[in-house]
Amino acid sequence: MPVRVVESNTPAQVSGTDPGNRSPLPPSSLLGAGQAFSGTQNVSNQQKEEAWRVNVQIQGIDLEHGYLCGTMEALNVPMADTPVITFWEGEIVDGKNYTFYTGKWEATREDDMRHWSKFPSFSPLQGQVETDGGRQLDLNNYPYIFMRWKEQYFVNVGTDCGLTIAGFYYVCFSCSDGSISGFYYDPNSSPFQKLELKTVNEGRSGFSFSSYELQ
Amino acid sequence: MIFQSNQAPKYDFLQEKNMEFLFSLLNSENENVSGLGASIIAHACGTSVEQRVLCEAGVLEKLVILLDGSLSQREACLESLATVLKNNPEAVSDFVGLESGRYFNSVTELTKDRYPRTRLLSCLCLVVIYNTSPSYFINMGTKSSLITTLLELLNDPGQSGDDAALGLSCLIAEKEDLQQLAYEADAIKNIVDILRTGSELQPRRLQGLFLSLAELCSKLEDCRCSFLSLQVLDLLTNALRHKDADVRAAACICFRNAARSVKSLSAGRFNSDHVMLPLVQLLHDPSSSVQVAVLGALSNIVLDFSSPKSSFIEYGGIKQLIELSKSMDPNARCSALRALRNLMFLADNKRKELFCSDVKAQGFACLISDPEPPVQEQALALLRNLVDGCISSIEFVFDEDGLILDTVGRQLRKAPQAQMAIQGMYVLTNVASGTELHKEAVMQQLFPQAKAGSENFMLKFLQSDESQLRSATVWTIINLISPSSPGAFDRHVKLRNAGIIPQLKNMVNDACLDVKIRIRTVLGQSMSFGDNY
Repeated sequence: MPVRVVESNTPAQVSGTDPGNRSPLPPSSLLGAGQAFSGTQNVSNQQKEEAWRVNVQIQGIDLEHGYLCGTMEALNVPMADTPVITFWEGEIVDGKNYTFYTGKWEATREDDMRHWSKFPSFSPLQGQVETDGGRQLDLNNYPYIFMRWKEQYFVNVGTDCGLTIAGFYYVCFSCSDGSISGFYYDPNSSPFQKLELKTVNEGRSGFSFSSYELQ
Repeated sequence: MIFQSNQAPKYDFLQEKNMEFLFSLLNSENENVSGLGASIIAHACGTSVEQRVLCEAGVLEKLVILLDGSLSQREACLESLATVLKNNPEAVSDFVGLESGRYFNSVTELTKDRYPRTRLLSCLCLVVIYNTSPSYFINMGTKSSLITTLLELLNDPGQSGDDAALGLSCLIAEKEDLQQLAYEADAIKNIVDILRTGSELQPRRLQGLFLSLAELCSKLEDCRCSFLSLQVLDLLTNALRHKDADVRAAACICFRNAARSVKSLSAGRFNSDHVMLPLVQLLHDPSSSVQVAVLGALSNIVLDFSSPKSSFIEYGGIKQLIELSKSMDPNARCSALRALRNLMFLADNKRKELFCSDVKAQGFACLISDPEPPVQEQALALLRNLVDGCISSIEFVFDEDGLILDTVGRQLRKAPQAQMAIQGMYVLTNVASGTELHKEAVMQQLFPQAKAGSENFMLKFLQSDESQLRSATVWTIINLISPSSPGAFDRHVKLRNAGIIPQLKNMVNDACLDVKIRIRTVLGQSMSFGDNY
């Protein structure tokens, strides 16, 4: 499938939300530039069970604008000779820049609720989100961060590699242990392909943190 | 004419007779004479005291009345108004309040005048008012109109076009909302088209155009991507070779801001010889402002996520940055270390070795002990990156009998500024994520025998107002008592006896969610050692 790169424009606003009164989410140590995660994406379909090993690295995060980005590397992809790396950009659901409603990428509100409700950590928020889009929610003190990740381009293979990056991921990040779960959404792909990642410590006995500063 | 020159002598407005003379000029029926009075003000008014004295004498009302005169008089008055109002909120408030805003509206109306210079000068006057007191511009239409007028004036072939470019950059500097408006008004494409006309543009105009592009790219990712999609790197690299230092510096600032796009860095947009070579060459530019500007650009551009291969390194960039880290100028030292820090972000051992083999432990200890706190901060941030990654990279801090680690400990015990302490604690965190030996080495820095009895600096850091410092300190503790390590229990005992674990128990409801979560991790580990909370 051809790559569709969608530029995010004005963030989707829930009616009644006043972005001027909202602040960005506070930083979380384990969701920062340089942090690496590893795990699997379940790409099973009716014909067969299959899972790809996946490595993710966060390259940048801008909480003020609810933005983050990084790379995703899929290993043991059958139709590829090498691991396939993509660059993705993320939207952080903070009630200021982005809400739980996607408003694009062929995802309806029903699709949104169907996916978010698959995260146990979304349950306490579900009622409020269904009622008023979640504008009363205080996400600043919630120990989970919800995001959407959209792959933008292939880094090391051509668009004719037989893979698609047309869809996007609904993602839930646990602030306490840095684990990530996600569901891939693409109307033309198998539904609910699950992404499960944990933090990677590169053989260390503990957590290590790198940083950069843009001038 | 004399007072249009920068060489003309200053005029002392504080002397009563001078003020009387000035008003006699302004009150003259001869418009050349009144215009001269206005030019004197535009040239000579420099301080807020002078601005206040002029306002109290009624100069604002006088100048606005004179706007109805000849073209040259009008232009002189607009320049004077801008000078009297600049950076003076009281003067702006007085002006906007005059005649219930009628004078303010007069200036706004002049942005539609048929003469370009009048339009420009009235725009620049409004820019001054906006930058001093933006609350008077609540109307989005006024902001849009101001931006649109300045964009149109960019095409003026004369001096108005030169000044419009600088005026636009001043207007949108640091203001995301105005940058968004300018972006929506197609400013980026307009400016790039002007730069591509092929005709020789005056240095002042070039400088203004590049600075405007730089401001457009300063905060908005959409702007950066839009700018880079226009295949502009050739334009920028050509400008790096311009004979005028201000143009070279402006091009560097433009590069710096465009390279704030992590997406573009990740795509390797800047990692080409064509871009890197002229930038590296500018590290030896005769102009210090160019050197500062190019260091800023390189700081960002070296963050190349796309490839372990770096053309910056191939051009000897590391050695040059190491040299600059020893500069007499603390800003240069700080910038060079920041660039090195970014270069070593997620770097492999091969790249780290290029730095460590040149600097060595003694040299690095000097950087950490620099007299300037911002330099110390960047040196520690660089060290943090050097000891991240492969576990063997931690060994660098143990070279020359642990000189670097000792220096870090010593600096942390000196009650440092928060930002420096944050980086220092992350150095300890990263070292403490290593082997048993590494963890014990960190403990020795936390509890040096010679300093037994004095308050542990970790306790002070845990009580800091700065949440990042509290967080970094807790991470060090998490790594020291990581249950998988054999000596964790003994270290836990020591930390408890030093009051650190009890301090954490008092912080279970820390105001910062991240700190709270990390503390609960520590206390969970504590419980596994038989401690209760």
